[in-house]
Amino acid sequence: MNPTAAISVQNVKRSFRSVKKEEGWRGTLKLLFHPEYIEHQALKGITFSIPRGEFVGLIGANGAGKTTLLKILSGLIPPTTGEARVLGHIPFERSIEFRKEISLVMGQKAQLWWDLPAIEAFDLLRALYQIPNDIYRKRLDELTSLLDVTRLLNTQIRRLSLGERMKMEVIGAIIHLPKVIFLDEPTIGLDVLAAQKLREFLKIHNQKEGATIILTSHNMDDISELCKRIILIKEGAMIFDGDPKTLTGKDECQLRIQLTSEPSFGDLASALAISESQISKDDEDPTTYRLNIPRSKVAEYFQRLVQLYPVTDIGIQEPSLERVIQRIYQE
Amino acid sequence: MKATPTKTTLAWSLEWRWAAIRNGLRDAMAYRGDFLLDFFGQALVPVAIQLILWYSIFHNGKVTQFGGMSYAQLLSYTWTSLLFTQIRGGDYDFSLIEMIRVGSLSNYLLRPVGVIEFVFFRGLGEKLLTTLFCLVLGIVATFFTPLSIQNLLLGMMLAILGNIIHYLFGSALASVAFYWENAFAVLMVKNMVVSLFSGELLPLTVVPERFAWIWKSTPFYLYVYGPTQVALGKWDHVTWLHQMEIGFAWLLGFWLLMKLCWRVSINRYQGLGG
Repeated sequence: MNPTAAISVQNVKRSFRSVKKEEGWRGTLKLLFHPEYIEHQALKGITFSIPRGEFVGLIGANGAGKTTLLKILSGLIPPTTGEARVLGHIPFERSIEFRKEISLVMGQKAQLWWDLPAIEAFDLLRALYQIPNDIYRKRLDELTSLLDVTRLLNTQIRRLSLGERMKMEVIGAIIHLPKVIFLDEPTIGLDVLAAQKLREFLKIHNQKEGATIILTSHNMDDISELCKRIILIKEGAMIFDGDPKTLTGKDECQLRIQLTSEPSFGDLASALAISESQISKDDEDPTTYRLNIPRSKVAEYFQRLVQLYPVTDIGIQEPSLERVIQRIYQE
Repeated sequence: MKATPTKTTLAWSLEWRWAAIRNGLRDAMAYRGDFLLDFFGQALVPVAIQLILWYSIFHNGKVTQFGGMSYAQLLSYTWTSLLFTQIRGGDYDFSLIEMIRVGSLSNYLLRPVGVIEFVFFRGLGEKLLTTLFCLVLGIVATFFTPLSIQNLLLGMMLAILGNIIHYLFGSALASVAFYWENAFAVLMVKNMVVSLFSGELLPLTVVPERFAWIWKSTPFYLYVYGPTQVALGKWDHVTWLHQMEIGFAWLLGFWLLMKLCWRVSINRYQGLGG
């Protein structure tokens, strides 16, 4: 355990037991008189440590264990074995001090009261977190103007758009300036503009307040714009922890070619003996293709392409984080 | 720009509770129509049923007494009990079960205050408004009936104590949801037993003497029957004080039970749905 780290996780495992429900009446009766349980290992020995002020992306496919890890770190559930510490606290003990220093935002769950305007919820949070009135007013003005929601403070939460609601949720989560913030898919369902605004805000907040932030998201724009470090979880195990650039620059690259013709993906794939999923096209320019191929085979594929099609332009780029993650999920 | 509390701990502690009461009250009153219908509907329907029942027993059954009470006494009990039935209970324990089931309890667990207390104070706003309304109604009634303001206030105090006991009991039972996930039936059964033994459906004098030990072994009679007896002047001040002592003993017992149940069962919380 690193005593100076904001977050330390040592060999954390977590399993869940659930009832197995078989189909039909037989299953219903069996469930009533002789339920059968299945155990699912959600986390299989995760170890990492995060220094104060770092912005870390936690990524993985659905069911990989990201949210379970956040629940353990925020003290909602205990690990089955292993130890987690956040700001020196054991999260599941949920001491008052610990609860004042952390915050959790879940994109899929409303934490503010649905039938009340946001200002009412913020007022309650002010009292709960013992924020003096003048500081609260100043902070609320600042946060609402940064996120451009000042005019919506008196509107019922349920009447806000998803993006507006999410902004309010984020304000509610950081109004007490927590030292550690857990963000679970905060941009889920948001349009491009709203997501970008939220990302900019989180970046500024992290730099200004020095809060340690863990962000989970399926939107790789969130991760690549905000996180200098990512932790990749697959089926409950940690398979990568480091700079996303080292992940993207490993052994694959993207070959960009512009042709005078527009061959189909199938034609290109069979000509190069690659899968169609490795090929994509630019929306703006239908003659520009992007091929995700091993770095070692760039020369070979380029030679073959030149022989088959008239090439007008060519370039080599690093593959997007999204593409790399997609490949890792599929492996 | 860090929070530097200048108020005393006591002041903050009172402030968050008052903020929770305000917040809960505004939440309950967000939809005025629903609020008013709930408020009056829940109070008047049981009264209407009782009035029909008494009329039927005394006029069709040709009896002069029922449960040791005359028709006039039963009517007086029914109308007076109306002042207390709305103070007892509340459905915050149902809210707790729902929160455990759908995982929204997480939102409360992360706040720097106790969950049970927070939910109680959020629900208290509506109850205080109800109590105030019933008190005004009772004071108006003192001008036309033998009710005294002093007895009415003492009855209200007993009913409020009953409300807290009821919530603590419900909260302890709600912890079953950590095991069963869907445990509404537990609270439904509890509410049925409470309705019977609290005296809100029938005065407890109708229960035969040999079975009276059953309701006397529960705290439920302190919710409606006890306050009504105090308000009607059938329990003197000494009895009231004695019942308050009994009430506080139940309160302490259920508080300990609630603490124990939640301490043990919270380990099973999974925060589903996220």
